[in-house]
Amino acid sequence: MAKMTIAEALRQAIREEMQRDERVFCIGEDIGIEGGFGGAFTVTLGLSQEFGHERILDTPISETAIAGVAIGSAIGGMRPIADVQYSDFLFCMMDQLVNQAAKLRYMSGGTLSVPMVMRAPVGATARGSQHAQSPEAFFTHVPGLKIVAPATAYDAKGLLKSAVRDDNPVLVFEHKLLYGSKGARSEKGSLSPIGEVPEEEYLVPIGEGVIRRPGKDVTIVATLLMLYRALSAAESLSNQGIEAEVIDPRTLVPLDKELILGSVRKTGRLLIVEEDNLTNGWGAEIAAIVADEAFMWLDAPIKRVAAPDVPPPFAPVLEREYVPSEQKIIDAVLSIF
Amino acid sequence: MSVNVLVPPLSQTMDTLVIVEWLKKIGDPVTKGETLFTVETDKATLEVESPATGILSSVLAGAGDEVKVRSIIGIIAEPGEAFEEALTSVDNSLNENYPPGAPPSTDRQQTINVAGPKGEPLPPERINRLFASPRARQLAQLKGIPLVELRGSGTGPRQLIVERDVNAYIERQKSRPRVTPVARRMAEMTGVDLSKVAPAKPGTAITKADVETSLHEGSGAPASAQSSFQAIRLTPTRKTIARRMHESHQITAPVTYMREVDATRLVKLRERILEKLSEDAIRPTYTDFLVYITCRVLSKHPALNAYFDGETVELHDAVHMALAVDTARGLMAPVIRDADSKGVEELARIRGDLIDRTLKGTVTPNELAGGTFTITNLGALGIDHFTPILNPPQVAILGIGRIREIPAVHKGKIRIRSVMGLSLTCDHRVIDGAPAARFLLDICNLIESPDLVWL
Repeated sequence: MAKMTIAEALRQAIREEMQRDERVFCIGEDIGIEGGFGGAFTVTLGLSQEFGHERILDTPISETAIAGVAIGSAIGGMRPIADVQYSDFLFCMMDQLVNQAAKLRYMSGGTLSVPMVMRAPVGATARGSQHAQSPEAFFTHVPGLKIVAPATAYDAKGLLKSAVRDDNPVLVFEHKLLYGSKGARSEKGSLSPIGEVPEEEYLVPIGEGVIRRPGKDVTIVATLLMLYRALSAAESLSNQGIEAEVIDPRTLVPLDKELILGSVRKTGRLLIVEEDNLTNGWGAEIAAIVADEAFMWLDAPIKRVAAPDVPPPFAPVLEREYVPSEQKIIDAVLSIF
Repeated sequence: MSVNVLVPPLSQTMDTLVIVEWLKKIGDPVTKGETLFTVETDKATLEVESPATGILSSVLAGAGDEVKVRSIIGIIAEPGEAFEEALTSVDNSLNENYPPGAPPSTDRQQTINVAGPKGEPLPPERINRLFASPRARQLAQLKGIPLVELRGSGTGPRQLIVERDVNAYIERQKSRPRVTPVARRMAEMTGVDLSKVAPAKPGTAITKADVETSLHEGSGAPASAQSSFQAIRLTPTRKTIARRMHESHQITAPVTYMREVDATRLVKLRERILEKLSEDAIRPTYTDFLVYITCRVLSKHPALNAYFDGETVELHDAVHMALAVDTARGLMAPVIRDADSKGVEELARIRGDLIDRTLKGTVTPNELAGGTFTITNLGALGIDHFTPILNPPQVAILGIGRIREIPAVHKGKIRIRSVMGLSLTCDHRVIDGAPAARFLLDICNLIESPDLVWL
């Protein structure tokens, strides 16, 4: 098995899918330009030499153009992988994503499909309010979109390949601090989780969560960077005699709710960690599902740890306070014991 | 674990209260329920009970300080717990007010906020309910454990009874010897603490004989002898009375105004009337005269013949007079409808019949409802003054004391006069002191000079 970063795993997934299927192509800003970074975080680095500029398509700085070409070509039978430099820019494409991509299969009675993948980096990395959001929750509210959020190299490759093969629009949210990007695109404070990726072909099914750490006392649900903070917190809590079960849903839509419900039936306590603002996040939906379907199994109120309801601040010291920390996760867990 | 002393939300209109005085000082032992400090609201001075038993280890606001509702103003440490420890454990939340329902997570000894929307008081059955997690309830039900046995053992967040409390109870039960039903009943009746009784043969159940032995040996005798008691389950009527009395004191702001009145002329008037009555006629009591007089005075003081629901005052045109009656089942208050349109004789007849049927228990629920004012008479039992409890949504109740002869100054000379004690309780939320006193004065004027009813 090869060891690689998430950026490398994503690149490998794209390469394999482009080799497998001629209809697959990439579109984005500066993803294939000579001397460029390979997109904002090196994921497509080198692919234009391999596949040419017709399949690694650079666009002007226009997110609406990217979305329009991606959605239109998907309707026409292509399999686009669109690259958004920062997930904050998805808001430029809101009409195309919500009113077109998500709805066309329904509105056409199933005669049209939009097999499009859109990759978007999330997370606060000292870039200010408009390059730091984690907007997954917005899109979980839109029927017709699938939402994945891989936190390991294995999942990144397996989920991206599943997304390319899915006949519906899939948004792939990646975290800036987890890419393990090198050189100029390495983000300060990156975790660079390097994981093992099998040589042979594999897929990670969309809609299946995974238990990252088994425990019996409390269930912690977290994705992306928050997953790693939750895992660190779980280790500290273990020293205090509390064994946390950490769940990585991997997919937010469709959600593997049975995995979460089963874990809560085991532990009786639930904490959800989100990097996004607290109010109306996907964590609120999980809390509501558990309150509804596992009420009798709860031994304490459901807790959420998330960013406060303000935009991500620019100042690094404020940003450190803004993004949920390991300590905040520990405190929240202790508050329900 | 230390317990925070919070400023209770006593006033519906004010966010802050003023501390009048602490009745305990730092280092004093305090018992849960005893008065810890007094506060001043916009109209009254009220006593606040200690939330826990322990040592008052810290006082964060003194007499005269204006403090926010729900803020921490003191700490009660467990006996033996170091004061410093108690102090550091609260340091984080010091001077920080609890937003309703969201105490700071660093504070493990959280209190349950008992206010409803907009600070409205919750009914006692909501406040006194058992707070147990759904998981604990499910387990307790499965194992047939009455949750009430776990009351107070809540170790979870916000003092919730959680799964581990139920499991701990099961473990305790396992390690305890079984008790035969007869032995259990006997222990209950004699006040023997079963946890101190051992079965004759280890591993067998505790029998009646074991309880008897324990009783004779007096193992732990002083305590068990003194704690002999009889447990009485409340009847539904008594429960209703208990709930209504408690509710009344929770939601109203009762103030009782007391005074003595010269009733000599009323006594004489009644005697003159009784002389004229035939043997078989209904004989009006002082209550009937006082109902009559009160109806006259209420017509000039409509504010006291009213309902108040916390938002709106409802003035009534007619007086429906409720009379407190002591029955074997407890206190009842049958109502004389349109009492203000009836004469003394008719009042006496209706009152006689109504009280008769109330004592027999044949009074209808309809006749027990709809009173707009209440009169309660403890004179026959030798009481002069007391503090009647309001019957919400009514805003006033008049308590009548005994009539007794005393040497009194009358027209500059010492004479034997018949005096009567009156105790008027009004809801100060809507009836201020002066209007209440004026009402009572008018009552007294009519008692002193019954002729004035003609005016």
